[in-house]
Amino acid sequence: MSSPTPPSSPGSSPVPSPSRASTSRPGVPLQEVSDEALNGMILTRLALLGVDLSVLPEDDPDAPADQRRILESARRFLRSTPAAIADFEMDPQEVPPVLYPAALAPNRGAGAGEGP
Amino acid sequence: MTVSGGRRIGPPGDAPSGHRPPVPGSVATSGLRIRDREEDVLPTDRRFDRRSFLRHLGTWTAAASAGGLTGVWTAAPAAAAVPAPVTLPEGPDSQETDPALFTVVEAIRAIRGGTLSPEELVSACLERIRRLDPLLQAFNTVTAEAALARARSLGSTAGELPLAGVPLAMKDNYFTAGVRTTANSHIFADFVPTWNAEAWERLRGAGAILLGKTQMGPLATSRATTPDGEATTRNAWAPENERVSPGGSSSGSATAVAAGMAPGATGTQTGGSITNPSDAQGLTGIKPTMGRVSLRGIIPLTYTRDHPGPLARDAADAALLLQLMAGPDPGDPRTLGHPPVPDLVAAATPVTSPGGRPRLRWPTRIGVFPEDLAGVTDPPAQEPGPEAGQEERRRWERQLEARARAEAAARLRRTLLDTFEELGAEIVEVPPPADWETLTGGAFNNVRLPERAEPFLEQLRSDVRDFGVSLSPWINGLLLPGAEYLRGQRAKLVLLRRVLDGIFDRCDVVLQTSPIPFDIIGLPLITFPIGMRDTEAGSLPVGALFGGMPFAEDRLLSLAAAWQSVTEWHRMRPSGLEATGTRPGGEAETRSGLRLDVLDVWETGQ
Repeated sequence: MSSPTPPSSPGSSPVPSPSRASTSRPGVPLQEVSDEALNGMILTRLALLGVDLSVLPEDDPDAPADQRRILESARRFLRSTPAAIADFEMDPQEVPPVLYPAALAPNRGAGAGEGP
Repeated sequence: MTVSGGRRIGPPGDAPSGHRPPVPGSVATSGLRIRDREEDVLPTDRRFDRRSFLRHLGTWTAAASAGGLTGVWTAAPAAAAVPAPVTLPEGPDSQETDPALFTVVEAIRAIRGGTLSPEELVSACLERIRRLDPLLQAFNTVTAEAALARARSLGSTAGELPLAGVPLAMKDNYFTAGVRTTANSHIFADFVPTWNAEAWERLRGAGAILLGKTQMGPLATSRATTPDGEATTRNAWAPENERVSPGGSSSGSATAVAAGMAPGATGTQTGGSITNPSDAQGLTGIKPTMGRVSLRGIIPLTYTRDHPGPLARDAADAALLLQLMAGPDPGDPRTLGHPPVPDLVAAATPVTSPGGRPRLRWPTRIGVFPEDLAGVTDPPAQEPGPEAGQEERRRWERQLEARARAEAAARLRRTLLDTFEELGAEIVEVPPPADWETLTGGAFNNVRLPERAEPFLEQLRSDVRDFGVSLSPWINGLLLPGAEYLRGQRAKLVLLRRVLDGIFDRCDVVLQTSPIPFDIIGLPLITFPIGMRDTEAGSLPVGALFGGMPFAEDRLLSLAAAWQSVTEWHRMRPSGLEATGTRPGGEAETRSGLRLDVLDVWETGQ
C-alpha cells in the first residue's frame, strides 16, 4: 500500500504525485465477500432509504424485474464499482476537492466565465 | 495511409504545447471570447482556450453535488430565443420522388422554391407512418391533425422561417406542450407537459412542425421497449428481424428518420444514445458539447451527462438542426458562459480546392489510438455450454454481435482514413492517456447512477415496480456512497485534463470506438455512415465515430461534410421497407417475441 499524499496547502511547493490507478488494494478480497453479506447490506441500505424490494416477485423470469435479478445486479455493481473507484489514487493537487462556495459563480461572470 | 507516430504538426501559428497562449483580443481570464476577425476562417477549437471547459465541467460537477441542477427539468419556462437567420448553401434539387425522403435542407429549398408546401410534406410523412409504423413502431404518439393544422396555418409564409414548416419527430423525453411525454415509462405514462422543452421550443419557433413523439428505451436506458421490456421499435434496415437492434435509447428517432417517416429527429445522449442508433441506421448524429444545448424540459437521466442533439440524414441537416437548438438558455446554467454558436451550416458545407478537388475545410489532424488501427485482436468469446442459462447465452450473443460490428468497422476505418488523407487530413497516432481503461471503464461510468436515482427517490420509495425493466440502475445508484460518487466526479476532471492535454495536444479530432469516454467528460461526438456489413439479417450500415475538443461541433461537422461530399453512404436508404409496407400492419401481427429483462438493461443500457 502506498502512502497517502498529504493535502496541498497555500504556499507549499508542488510535489508531482499524479492521480493513478492503484496496483494493489488493502482490505477484504472482493471475492471473499459472500452473496449473503452483500444482500444484507443492499436490503439494509434500501430499507434505511424507505425503498422496498419486497413488492417485486421473488423469482419470476416472466416479470420485468424480480428480487433475485435486482439483487444479482446490485451485487455485481458492489463488487465492481465502489472498490475500483476507491482504488484510484487521487492527487489532491491535480484536482482539489473544492466544491464550495458558489458552485455556479463562474456562470454568473464572477471569475471564470462570461454571460451569454 | 501515413501515420505520424506521436509527431505533432499543427497549422501555422499553433502553440507547441498543450497550453495554448491567450488569443490576442480575447479575455484571458475567461478564454472564451472569439477573435472577431478570424471568426469566419477558424473553427471554434482554434479560437478559445480549451482548458476553460475544464472549469465549466468542474462547476457542473459541483452544482450537481450541491443539488443545483435538479430543478432545471421542471423549472418554469423562460422566454424562447428568437431564431437567428440561417443561410443555406446552394444545392441541387433532391433526386427523391417522395418528399418524405428529402433531407431537411432539400425540403426547405423545395418549400422556398414553391414546388412543395409544408402540408404536402407533412402528408407525405404521415402516409409513410401509416404504412410503415405498425411494424417499425418508431412512434409513441403521432400528432397528425395538429401537424396538418400547423402546416396549413404556416401556409405561404413558412419559407420565411429557418425551418420553413419541415416536420420533425421528438424523442419522447422532450416536453411537448399538450402532448403526452412518457419516456416510455410507467412513471410518465400520463404526463402531459404544459410547456415545451427549450430545445424543441427553439426548433418550433424556427418553423418546425411536431410530427410526433418517438419511442425510446424506458427512461432513456436501453433500445426501445415497453416499460416492461417487450422490444418495440425495429431497425429500418431489418424491419422483419426484431433481433437487429435499432440502437438505443433514441431508437424511434433513428428509425423514423432512416425509414423516411420524418426528415429529422431529436435525441438525447448519456451513454451513446444519439450516436449508437445513428450508427445502427446509417444516419448522421451529433452529440454536442455539454452545455451547448439546453436540457431544460427534458426528463433527466444523468444530468451532468445528458446531451440533447439531432439525428439526421446528412451533415448539413445535423448542422442546421443543431444550429437552431443550440445556445445559451438563462433557465439552464450549464449553457451559459460558452463561446457563441458558430455558423454550423457553413461548417457543414463542403469546400473544394481552387482546382475543384474536394478538401477538408480546415487543416485537420485525425488522432487514432494504436489499438484501433490494429483492429479486433481479442479472441471471440466461447459459446456457453448446454448447461448455460438464458442470461449467459444472451450475453454471449451480444458479445458476438458487438465483435462482428467492431470487425466490420475496423475494416472500413482504413478506407475512411485513406480518404481523409486524400482530403488533406494528417493521420496521427495518439497514445491513450494514463489510466484510460480505468477512467473510462465500467466502474467510473457507473458514477452517473446516483444522479439518476436521486431525482426519482420519491418514485422509488413509492413503488419500485413503476420502473419496470429499467429498475436496476436506479437501485444501484442508491448503493454508491457519497465518497465514491465525489471521487468519481473528481476523476472526471482528471480524465478531461488528460484528454485535453494528452490527446488534443497532438490532434484536432480523435477516432473513437465507444461514445462512453467523451460522454463522461462532455466532449462532442459525431457519427456518420462509412459503409455496410453483411449479416444474416441482410446488409446493415456501419458508422464511424469522431470526438472533438470542447465546442468543436463545427470541426466535426466539417469532417462529416467532406466525407459525404466524396461518398454516397449517407444517401443509401433501407431497401426492404417498400415490401414491408405492402403487408397489413397491426399490433397483433407485430407483437414482439423479444423481451429485455432487468439484467439486459443493466448490462447494455446507457
